[in-house]
Amino acid sequence: MSATTDVSLPARLSARDVTMRFGGLVALDNVSIDVPPRSVVGLVGPNGAGKSTLFGVLSGLLTPSAGTVTLDGTDITRTSARARARRGMARTFQHPELFTTLTVREHVVLADRVRHSGARLWTDAITGRGLRRPPADETARVDSLIDALGLGPIAHRRIGDLPLGSCRLVEVARALAVRPRLVLLDEPSSGLDVTETAELADVLQQVVATHDVSLLFVEHDVELVLRICDSVHVLDFGVKIAAGTPDQIREDPAVRAAYLGADVTPAQEAQS
Amino acid sequence: MLSYVLVGLSLGAIYAIAAGSLVITYVASGIFNLSFAAMAYTVARCYYFLNTEQGWGILASAVVSLGVFAPLLGIVLYAVLFRHLRLRSTPVKLVATIGLSVALPPLVNLIFGTLTNPTAPGLAPRPLGVITVFDTAVNGDQIATYLGLVVVLVAGIGLLRFTSVGLKVRALVDSEAMTALNGISPGRVSVGVWAASSVLAGLAGILVAPTAGLSAEAMTGLMATAFAAVVAARLRHLGVAIGVALMIGVVTGVVQKFVNADSDVAAKLVPGVPFVLMLLFLIYHAFRGQAGDLVSGGGLDRSISTQADENSTTTRDLTAVPVWRQPGVIAAAVVFVVVAIAPLGLDEYWTARVTAGICLAIAMLSYTLLVGEGGMVWLSQITFAGLGAIIAAELATDHGLPALLAIVVAALLVTPVGVLIGILTIRLGDLYVALVTLSFGLLVTTLVFTTDSIANYGMGVALLRPDVVSDSTSFAYLALVVFAVTAILVANLRRSTTGLAISAVRWSENGARTIGLSIATVKILLTAPATFVAAVGGGFLAMNFGSTLPDSFSPFHGLVWLAVLVTVGSRSIVAALVAGVLFYLMPAVFDNYLPSDLAEVPTILFGLGAIMVARNPEGVIAQFGDAATGVVERLRRSAPPPDAADPDSSPNKVIGGTSA
Repeated sequence: MSATTDVSLPARLSARDVTMRFGGLVALDNVSIDVPPRSVVGLVGPNGAGKSTLFGVLSGLLTPSAGTVTLDGTDITRTSARARARRGMARTFQHPELFTTLTVREHVVLADRVRHSGARLWTDAITGRGLRRPPADETARVDSLIDALGLGPIAHRRIGDLPLGSCRLVEVARALAVRPRLVLLDEPSSGLDVTETAELADVLQQVVATHDVSLLFVEHDVELVLRICDSVHVLDFGVKIAAGTPDQIREDPAVRAAYLGADVTPAQEAQS
Repeated sequence: MLSYVLVGLSLGAIYAIAAGSLVITYVASGIFNLSFAAMAYTVARCYYFLNTEQGWGILASAVVSLGVFAPLLGIVLYAVLFRHLRLRSTPVKLVATIGLSVALPPLVNLIFGTLTNPTAPGLAPRPLGVITVFDTAVNGDQIATYLGLVVVLVAGIGLLRFTSVGLKVRALVDSEAMTALNGISPGRVSVGVWAASSVLAGLAGILVAPTAGLSAEAMTGLMATAFAAVVAARLRHLGVAIGVALMIGVVTGVVQKFVNADSDVAAKLVPGVPFVLMLLFLIYHAFRGQAGDLVSGGGLDRSISTQADENSTTTRDLTAVPVWRQPGVIAAAVVFVVVAIAPLGLDEYWTARVTAGICLAIAMLSYTLLVGEGGMVWLSQITFAGLGAIIAAELATDHGLPALLAIVVAALLVTPVGVLIGILTIRLGDLYVALVTLSFGLLVTTLVFTTDSIANYGMGVALLRPDVVSDSTSFAYLALVVFAVTAILVANLRRSTTGLAISAVRWSENGARTIGLSIATVKILLTAPATFVAAVGGGFLAMNFGSTLPDSFSPFHGLVWLAVLVTVGSRSIVAALVAGVLFYLMPAVFDNYLPSDLAEVPTILFGLGAIMVARNPEGVIAQFGDAATGVVERLRRSAPPPDAADPDSSPNKVIGGTSA
């Protein structure tokens, strides 16, 4: 859990009364959620609960039918995904959305340049900077991030050659390279084994401790969520059924019912 | 009026058969068959061989060519090509089928012989009988066409809707993997689909030959018209495709009532109708967000897709290696030096061909940018080259600009056209982009390149070399310098922030957006230089030949250009130089040293090379590079290894063990 979380500060990300309808289906029904600065917030729920839909709304890939989304107090409800990225919101994907022919380092370099020297996108082709050595400050930032996530040994390997665990870390590194204030993580432990998940949890906690960033992640691995989150929101059938600290969530009867069925027997309770 | 409608309806019936075939194979196999015209020509040529050259009767010729030869052709093509393509990326599928369309017609000519008079009989007995319907004459070929469509519709709908074979085909459309898991052989079903598609292609080819002529170009015209109907149907709705195809035929027929058939307006308006319609349909679908690529199969199919293997060339950390010692740079330098020395040791004939090859190599660098870097199959680069050549020639001839300045100005004028197409196609999937650019090329060819003042009876507009480089050798060096400068700019672009962004957008637009990249900006940054380079290359080609020669900028020639480049390597800069020189040298070698019957063999080889991208998407140069790297690695391994006790020294150490 993040030791530096201060819930008294205004929320970095705030969703208010978000409703999302697909035709007659109500995927989200008046869902509200806050992500305070320097905090780790988890979003859990059974399959079909609406987690991915809420994630799509928060990251700008979906526009809600009703409700508002604000980032540091600014309404971004109808802002594009790209514009949200420019405002300091980064995200990863359940199936890593990486750039197959680029190396790990090039992923971080590109994100860093978009953040720190966006004009190079236009000027490099004319000035010939692509054929020269990168500036020292860029190299320092990129090296620091690659080292922080333990990607040094594979920095010059292309993504197409890497296993899933490494790809997830590359996505996190790329997201952090744009110096975000908030990172949305979509099922980061999906496809990882227990050891890899533990390594990933350590990295995420380290990221929050060393960067001024908040994390919001959707996750199926409830144990991971309860281990590293400051607060947890639980969805079921598009409705928020619970919110609180991991301990509160563990004890919440509605959450138990959602995961284990309406009538939780002592045997099931013991098993859970 | 009725006679125009009936004529249009018979034309529309042929388009409908072609469109139906394209849709069925696309939804069943995920492959948009750009080689449909070549298949149609092949079967129609077989029919002509049996019926006209061997004197067989119509029925016997039709049964053998459509009932035996066509299915066999489909089966063979499935076995050697199409079965390798289903799970490949759209650009690879397109390039491979383009390769087939390039290779098949000359191969057929090699076997059956080249036709000097492409007039061919249809399925109706000669002399043509005529019946009168509502005071309107309808000939035997028209009746055969109507009957052909009815038979195809009845048999097709009956088969797909009411038989177990149809059920299996529909299952295959949804998911090849799940079809296999239910005990059905996807291979057998696919073989059947391709055999049927080949029969339909052949039928369309035989039916269109009496009016359009028996040639690969005529068949390509048929196919291009059918594209409009297929696009209207968003590539998948059979009924819409057939309906729109019939409508295009009728509109084309009725238009001829209102314009003089021999006029210049008719010559441009009538062939332009389908392409204008296609562009309108595409814009309509794009604005509704319905022009993305077909998601082939289900999740299981995608998880076993081989697309990730398409860029599996060896990567090594070369940051510590000086530029002059990197393998790619060494190979490029060697090729460059060989090409540079060639004009000094060759006579005028061969020097002229090498020079033409260098000029073409400049234009081919535009494909290196678009296909190699951007992963976008644009089929209009040759059109930009043609526009660059024509505008440069006009500027030099009519406005007195120096030739080199005229080429640069022309390229600058053409560039916004490419950028505009890039912007308009941002929301389109790869396949639609290929179709849009091909349609654009055909439209420009019809409306612009054939204009009397530009075509000038096939001679084009003059564009003379500057006096200081009037001989082939000195002009070769000028072209080589321009190629080198362009190649350095392309290399710079590739290694720059722009190049990284282009790769990012190519592989994941969502990923690119989340780091704040604008997809539109990146596509403009790619299409602008690609268009500029194509136009400069076109200008140099025209200057090399002393004239614009509009026929040499036909989109069909552009398919051969693309085939040659991807054969050698679409990502390699030096491959553009090799491909350009090969394009002009190989035919010259065959012309001079081999029997004239084999004159079309180079084209066959170029097409077969493009087909090979289905197996080796990176091309010959990359394969050669990998082999050479392997040899070097083996030699290095014979040296003492680094400290094996230090696990961190291993370049292969990775986090996690699950393969992505």
